[in-house]
Amino acid sequence: MYDLVIIGGGPAGVGAGVYAARKKIKTLLITEDFGGQSMFSPDVRNWIGSKSLTGLELAKILEEHLLDYKDDIDVWKGDLVKKVSKKSKGFTITTKKGQKAETKTILICSGSRRRRLSVPGEDKLDGKGLAWCATCDAPMFKDKVVAIIGGGNAGLEAALTLDAYASKLYLIQRSDRLKGDAVTQEKVMKLKKMTVIFNALTQEILGDKFVSGLRYKDAKTGKEETLELEGVFVEIGSVPNIDFAKSLVDLTDWNEIVVDHKTQQSSQAGIWAAGDVSDVLYKQNNVSVGDAIKAILNIFDYLHKNF
Amino acid sequence: MKKVTIYSTPTCVYCKMVKEFFKENKIDYTEKDVSVDDKAREEMVDKSHQMGVPVIDIEGEIFVGFDKDILSNALGI
Repeated sequence: MYDLVIIGGGPAGVGAGVYAARKKIKTLLITEDFGGQSMFSPDVRNWIGSKSLTGLELAKILEEHLLDYKDDIDVWKGDLVKKVSKKSKGFTITTKKGQKAETKTILICSGSRRRRLSVPGEDKLDGKGLAWCATCDAPMFKDKVVAIIGGGNAGLEAALTLDAYASKLYLIQRSDRLKGDAVTQEKVMKLKKMTVIFNALTQEILGDKFVSGLRYKDAKTGKEETLELEGVFVEIGSVPNIDFAKSLVDLTDWNEIVVDHKTQQSSQAGIWAAGDVSDVLYKQNNVSVGDAIKAILNIFDYLHKNF
Repeated sequence: MKKVTIYSTPTCVYCKMVKEFFKENKIDYTEKDVSVDDKAREEMVDKSHQMGVPVIDIEGEIFVGFDKDILSNALGI
């Protein structure tokens, strides 16, 4: 039986792993991959200690740091936690590959994933003009009309990236104003190719083999409009990865795990959470690491008191 | 050795991962940068019926994205 299972290999999971190994807590870390959501960032400039590095480089240094302690921590990489069940003392964890682990405590650092539109056409046209990574796929839309859905920072940055390629840009925003940083907003509003459409609720992605249009409803007038275009990039935020333990812990309306922000403990004794999967107000790599370490120190105390 | 082509963009993380995977396993490959090569861009869409990178062509068999197990299998390594 493990003292602790850490779920996730982003900054929170790795930070927790390093501290747990140094504390000689008998730990298993399970992650599909290292690096977390920043892995796809072309340039990370706020990771403290590095002026600039790519998301992939960040993922590498995180993995290297953790594996430096490989004698003191077990790591299942390339697997995913499917289910957590409560036992009389501790928990059983089952993975996608069918592996099982028994543990006294759990730290959930499973992060979040992109929110999907949930409109007709989305599944059928995924990858066929409907795209999720402007950094990766923007060049495919050279001289094409493209819409970006979402007026937060991610959407605004996607717009700036696409400006170098697309012939015309639409930014579709569901409320009456943009949400991202003021500086980035200004840059986007100045783009010559850009038309920002406010109060627009996306209803359907149109197209047969590839995207050919987008239908939206004006939230104020109720009137529906169709845009002819060949590309749609979606940047509408994220949802926590918590399907495997939904019934065990209290969640916010947005499915974040409610934690005590002094200790990171959840409503379920023996389960802690840190990073984007928790109800932390600021979803940031550096914050996630700090919160995960808080959790480990609290878990260390808990194990000494209870076992 | 099998003929391998990767269609990529310079900023795509999975493209980098595929290329590193090829290098680790000493697989020779041709790279086509679809951000500058218009013909390669069309070719990629024709072959894969979609618009996301990376696309990998292994002897005419087409793969989208980076999946180590699937690529290893296709390359026989």
